[in-house]
Amino acid sequence: MRIGGVLNLLGRLILILSLMLLSPIPFSIYYGDGMIPTFLVSSLVGLVAGTVLVLVFLPERELGYKDGFAIVTFSWIGLALLGALPYILSGYIPSFVGAFFESMSGFTTTGSTVLSDIEVLPRSLLFWRTMTHWLGGMGIIVLTLAILPLLGIGGMQLFQAEVPGPTKDRLTPRIQDTARILWSVYLLMTLVETVLLMAGGVDFFNALTHSFATLATGGFSNHNASVGQYQSPYVESVVTLFMFLAGANFSLHFMALRGDLRAYWKNEEFRFYCAIIGIAVLLILIANQVSGTYHHPARNLRDSLFQVVSIMTTTGFGTADFDTWPPFCRTLLVALMFIGGCAGSTGGGIKVVRFLLFFKHARLQLHKLVHPRQVETIKLGMTKVPQDVMIAILSFFAIYLAVFMAASLIITGLGVDIITGPTAVIATLNNIGPGLALVGPTQNFGHLPSLAKLVLIFCMLAGRLELYTVAILLTPGFWKMTRRPKIRWQKKPAVTGGPSANR
Amino acid sequence: MRIMIVGAGLVGQYLCSRFSSEGREVVLIDRDKDKLLRLEKEMNILTVHGSGASARILAEAGIARTDLFIAVTDSDEVNLVACIMSRQYDVGIRIARVRNEDFLTPGMSLNEEALGIDLLISPDWAMADEIMKLIHVSEAFDTAEFANGRVILLGYLVHGNNPCVGRSLFELGREHGSRQYVMTAIIRDGQTIIPRGEDTIRAGDKIYLMVLRQEMARVERLFNLTSRLPARVFIIGGGDIGYLVARRLEELDIEIKIVEEDVERCRFLSENLAHTIVLNFDGLDAHDLLEEGIDRADLVIAVTGSDTTNILSSLLAKHHGTRRCITKITRHDFVPMLGKLGIDVALSPRQVAADMILRYVRRGSIVSVATILDSDAEVMEVTVPEHKKFDNVMIRDCSFPRGSVVGAIVRRDSVFIPTGESVIRPGDNLVIFFTRDAARDVEKFFAPAS
Repeated sequence: MRIGGVLNLLGRLILILSLMLLSPIPFSIYYGDGMIPTFLVSSLVGLVAGTVLVLVFLPERELGYKDGFAIVTFSWIGLALLGALPYILSGYIPSFVGAFFESMSGFTTTGSTVLSDIEVLPRSLLFWRTMTHWLGGMGIIVLTLAILPLLGIGGMQLFQAEVPGPTKDRLTPRIQDTARILWSVYLLMTLVETVLLMAGGVDFFNALTHSFATLATGGFSNHNASVGQYQSPYVESVVTLFMFLAGANFSLHFMALRGDLRAYWKNEEFRFYCAIIGIAVLLILIANQVSGTYHHPARNLRDSLFQVVSIMTTTGFGTADFDTWPPFCRTLLVALMFIGGCAGSTGGGIKVVRFLLFFKHARLQLHKLVHPRQVETIKLGMTKVPQDVMIAILSFFAIYLAVFMAASLIITGLGVDIITGPTAVIATLNNIGPGLALVGPTQNFGHLPSLAKLVLIFCMLAGRLELYTVAILLTPGFWKMTRRPKIRWQKKPAVTGGPSANR
Repeated sequence: MRIMIVGAGLVGQYLCSRFSSEGREVVLIDRDKDKLLRLEKEMNILTVHGSGASARILAEAGIARTDLFIAVTDSDEVNLVACIMSRQYDVGIRIARVRNEDFLTPGMSLNEEALGIDLLISPDWAMADEIMKLIHVSEAFDTAEFANGRVILLGYLVHGNNPCVGRSLFELGREHGSRQYVMTAIIRDGQTIIPRGEDTIRAGDKIYLMVLRQEMARVERLFNLTSRLPARVFIIGGGDIGYLVARRLEELDIEIKIVEEDVERCRFLSENLAHTIVLNFDGLDAHDLLEEGIDRADLVIAVTGSDTTNILSSLLAKHHGTRRCITKITRHDFVPMLGKLGIDVALSPRQVAADMILRYVRRGSIVSVATILDSDAEVMEVTVPEHKKFDNVMIRDCSFPRGSVVGAIVRRDSVFIPTGESVIRPGDNLVIFFTRDAARDVEKFFAPAS
């Protein structure tokens, strides 16, 4: 690993985020909430830190695959730390761990909060909260690739490490153009949802921030009652639609925008995604009706649909407290939490396509027992899935299980009960937001011990970056290959000097 | 008419014998001198030794005076180059045999037109077409389509327990009512009979019926024959023919199992086929075939590269109770005796391809020609020329050549099966069945000038 080059790039990314930290200031001025100094100071801290990193460490001419993992993981930790500053400085979340949790929950589009009363926060801070969602949803590195030539080197490695899914669609030969396309689609959909929400009587500020949280499949709302606050079927259906779209592959949206609407149906993962949602809604609808949780089928359908889409896409908005639903529904919702969105979406979780291929592999093994001499190929749509992708998926499940078990053990070890602990891990590892019991839809994560919060922060990061990116940093072999950083004012070694010596 | 054939393979030989027996001038070019000497003795043709892709050889063989140029060597390149070179001369029709799928797939840019070749033909594709036609008609061992597929000629084997046995055509016609079918030929002990009313059907006969497509099921019921798509199909051999057939059977929602020996080829098949079960073992492995249920298959299609494997696996399947077998056999000399072994249908890809070439060459006023596999009978579609002897006359008054019979009349958009009283007019298309001896008479009879 070329640690110097990694830190140099990290500095650049921090500089970009520092500029982003200025974005809530117009809202602060408009609403007169007195938060201007907080954001200015936060931004200044970021600018200083970023400048120091860029000045001290010389950039590398070349970055490898391994450096990509390091840059992405470090930058996400660094950005979350910087993003936590406004919460601490304004005093609304005084504890460092709490603010770090809230900030990481934002960037990883999880949507778990430590706040019990959200509505007391000033508007500009609420804006910053959903802004972190929006930046994290499509990925800040993908954004940087799209708009700035800063990350000219190793762009592909960074893109690979940040965009979710077992295989990445390359829409164009140049990765920068692909990033630009993805961000354009993302921006366009955000604007459309904002307009549609405003048409339903939501004011501009709430429409914009809720759109940020929807498209990123985040789940931060400005209201204690989440989207349920509006009590409007129109608002709920708009949010449901956009949650559904945000959980689907953005490459498909791009193809649809170019006029190929059949692209959706041709995609096997998308069909499976629709089928899961359809069946889950139906089952929950029936269970809720039979158990007498709802008296009106229309209300039941509205709430079941919203909750299923919200959980499946890992958004985590709420219009009903599903913790009071029958056990069958809760079990089913927890199962959906594991599945998550499609590859190439902003959703978290294991991803629909991994489950699809996982089951295809299981079916292949069954066929082998019936026809021992059969030769079968695993295909996705019409194309063959290479063997190494299949192996990567199977080992993904292994790492996932290991992280889930370890995190659950630590948290329950800290005295958290058996429902709250594991569901908190599930909710953060899959970037959903609410779990069950004490971390249910109407509760928050504030009461958990600090160590538990740190474990959950790790889960959120590992979940968003799909385990491998983070897990590779935990292997000793990765660090053994670290090269000495090149410092700007370093004296050149007498003989082996020059930039080429280090390569 | 002077015909030049490049390549003395099985297709080339078969075409030579067909054309020379019709009294045409045939020149055969090949690089194998011994083979040419042998063929020159057997057939009444001129042979030229050399490569078909050489301009000197073509000129030497008299390409300047050739009307029909057919390149059917084993090499795509030689065939294409020979055809392209022949464009320098005033050749009427150029036909090339190709293997490469890229030239045959509809919609490819480098097609017949772009290459300046009249017909590109691949034995494997023609074979797959033929197999698909046979699958649609389950009991028939032979079929041909006329009038854009609205009329079909079906060949059936009459078993001993069939109620039609021992009855004359006249009796059957009275019982069934006319205008549903025409029995165009009976093949008995290798002899082709163009039947008349008093002829009787015997057990073991092969009968050929001309029927309208929509009437097919009804006519088959009259003769106690059934027709439905097979539900379970076994394909032995995953070569080009097996792959093409499997791909087309998949569209019909039929349960397909394909057996192929080569692992790499199996991977290719499983990748390119949707729900076919691809099995990797030898087509002669009886234990594995039975384990996979070949005895319960409705149809077994044996199309490996080896005739031995095809015949033996078909016999094995028949022995264990498979309803029907379609067997590929490269040496068409063996076709006649396979029926006695109990193999239902034996097809030779080269012969299928040669038939396709014959059909193409004989169009003109003659619309299409089909040869009946192991007999000397042919069917063709003829447009009635403008002449007073054909103007509104009844078929029985028309004095058709001996050994021929009209199987169907196509008039504008309607098709009907004729009786002796049916009237023909100029412009009608007639589907005529005739013995090879009568071929020239029939052609002369319909020649526009006469």
